[in-house]
Amino acid sequence: MTDGRVCETPACNKSASLQCPTCLKNNLPPTFFCSQECFKSSWKDHKAVHKKAEKRDSDRYNPWPKYFFTGALRPFPVSPKREVPESIPRTDYADHPKGVPISEQKVRGSAYIKPLDDEEVEGMRVACRLGREVLEEAAAAVSVGTTTDHIDRIVHEACIERECYPSPLNYYQFPKSCCTSVNEVICHGIPDARPLQSGDICNVDVTVYHRGFHGDLNETYLVGEVSAEARDLVTVTWQCLQKAIDIVRPGEKYREIGNVVQKHASERGYSVVRSYCGHGIHRLFHCSPNVPHYARNKAAGVMRPGHCFTIEPMISQGTWRDEQWPDNWTAVTADGKLSAQFEHTLLVTETGVDVLTKREGTTLPRFLDSSS
Amino acid sequence: MSDEEDFVPDLVPAQYAPIPVLIITGCLGAGKTTLLNYILTEQHHKRIAVILNEFGEGSAMEKSLSIGEEGNMYEEWLELRNGCLCCSVKDNGVKAIENLMQKRGRFDYILLETTGLADPGPVASIFWLDKELGSDVYLDGIVTVVDAKNIVKTLDEATEEAMSEEPAEQSTLGTPARQVALADLLILNKTDLVTPAELDEIRSRLVAINGAAALLPTSRCRVDLDKILDLHAYEKVDFKSLEKQFTVPGGSHIDQSLGTVTLERPGSVRRRDLESFVHGLLWEKTVADRRGRPVHMLRMKGMASVVGEERRLILQAVGEICDTEFASRWEPDEPHVTRLIFIGRHLDESRLDEAFRSTVPVVSEHQSDAV
Repeated sequence: MTDGRVCETPACNKSASLQCPTCLKNNLPPTFFCSQECFKSSWKDHKAVHKKAEKRDSDRYNPWPKYFFTGALRPFPVSPKREVPESIPRTDYADHPKGVPISEQKVRGSAYIKPLDDEEVEGMRVACRLGREVLEEAAAAVSVGTTTDHIDRIVHEACIERECYPSPLNYYQFPKSCCTSVNEVICHGIPDARPLQSGDICNVDVTVYHRGFHGDLNETYLVGEVSAEARDLVTVTWQCLQKAIDIVRPGEKYREIGNVVQKHASERGYSVVRSYCGHGIHRLFHCSPNVPHYARNKAAGVMRPGHCFTIEPMISQGTWRDEQWPDNWTAVTADGKLSAQFEHTLLVTETGVDVLTKREGTTLPRFLDSSS
Repeated sequence: MSDEEDFVPDLVPAQYAPIPVLIITGCLGAGKTTLLNYILTEQHHKRIAVILNEFGEGSAMEKSLSIGEEGNMYEEWLELRNGCLCCSVKDNGVKAIENLMQKRGRFDYILLETTGLADPGPVASIFWLDKELGSDVYLDGIVTVVDAKNIVKTLDEATEEAMSEEPAEQSTLGTPARQVALADLLILNKTDLVTPAELDEIRSRLVAINGAAALLPTSRCRVDLDKILDLHAYEKVDFKSLEKQFTVPGGSHIDQSLGTVTLERPGSVRRRDLESFVHGLLWEKTVADRRGRPVHMLRMKGMASVVGEERRLILQAVGEICDTEFASRWEPDEPHVTRLIFIGRHLDESRLDEAFRSTVPVVSEHQSDAV
């Protein structure tokens, strides 16, 4: 049985039939390499996954004393739940005790991709434009010393001002109104009391629910003085998104997105996170299609005018593997190295694509835009 | 262990041994539980996990899991973390199984019993993961236990109900027929309760729906376990043992027109043409029957000869998910043939053949087979 094993070394992609004996011995997930030479060349980075539990700082806030963190980031206290005024139309999961979106559960497993009619497209345009406005407000607050909780407050209030419900709030019990993912956090970081530090990269992921439609977008921002390596990762990640958007048009297969993203990422020496993918979005926060960002995936479906979906590649410096913190949300790289992400909500048009969550007046993301 | 870290160990040969997941389905009372118990007691030297009830549904925080080990069964809990189910590529349940195995050690098999009313299709899709995900589990196949005493009546009832109004959505299809259609192996149980003549009728009904599945008659589910475990139904395709089946033509729609069609063509084709044909069938609904009803494919298997390639191309599809992959080489004197088997609703052999011929031309021929 062929097993599709590909070398762990980020840019390699060669077929791999050898594995690291230390990972095997320590009961870590098996890691595969194409040759001893390749293994040696990435040893310095790979050995990070072997590290044993380090000394614990007993006087610091540590909600999970037994958990071995893959990187330097630590959780900080999370503030109490923010409320949304009753006057703003809520999602079905907003008031569900476990945050379950019943409407999504109903169509779970269905691969049917709904083409939106003109009215629905208009609803999406508005929601996405508002989502962009909210993200821009949050972006303006990203700076050294600001806590991610403060960014969450800005997002929360910006949503309310625009008559939007912040979609992440209570979605499967997610505690906050946006996701803030710093450094080795791949996605779904929970805003907390940690102040951003110079050198951090921070992704803010906003989704708003306005008059029945969701608009979903995110950008990675550079905090203070950022290393050249970090900047390169963020740049390549943004390029991956751009290249993927470039192929969107009626008739294109959804599975092709992953081929485009992984090709560019590996050419530049990076890996593609596999556990999380893009998704259909309209009246439901997450629905068909499923859009993996890795190559050779089995995503079903072909793009048609009226389809709305996100592309949101997560690109990592080191391994593609991810792990989850005990909060059941925060996804981190298995080796503690950096990961960046960018996301747009897209509409397939008769001739190509419309980027519904685009920035006003420029095609540049904020981190490249010197006028921001 | 501190800094012996600069010493680079030698790589060892990769052992990729994911664990097979077998889905066991069938109507209430058909004998699923009997089968499970039989497997657990017969395979008492293996560590087998049995998961009962629905999978991929609901928001339960935990599912109970029974593990059979050395003849005993003990309970475990699958923690279904209430994290992000949304944009996660792996189903919560799959992750829960992987986490459990990390903590408690690997299993030799995982048997997943769905309830009598369940459609095994979505569950199969959940476990048919991309290899790139490097999962610890893989989908071995679907086994449907059929109650010989009642199956004909059950199928007739479902057909009557379906005939009264034309169902638009696949969700209203009769589950018993779907369970048969999606099976890789049919265990025809309780054969001791029917006459040989009835047994023949049952066989024909089943084979008419699903011509690709192996059929094992049994009583009390005492089957040869070599025939159930390690099916690899989503990896290999064994055409030698398949019989050619035809859909029931025209008007008499037995079993809601669920049936099997096979197509065969000597010669080699281009991989992308074949994939376009399959994607069109599955996603675009490009082919319809004589009454204009689009083909609704439940399961597909195929083997193709690809131009310029010495290995066979294997095609697998369930529901809307499909995949092609190169497998073993053609034997030196083996004729290169492309064979497809379709299981679904509204299958019209001539229409399918026409679409196949026009979308997937033979590019070059091998041997002396003329078109």
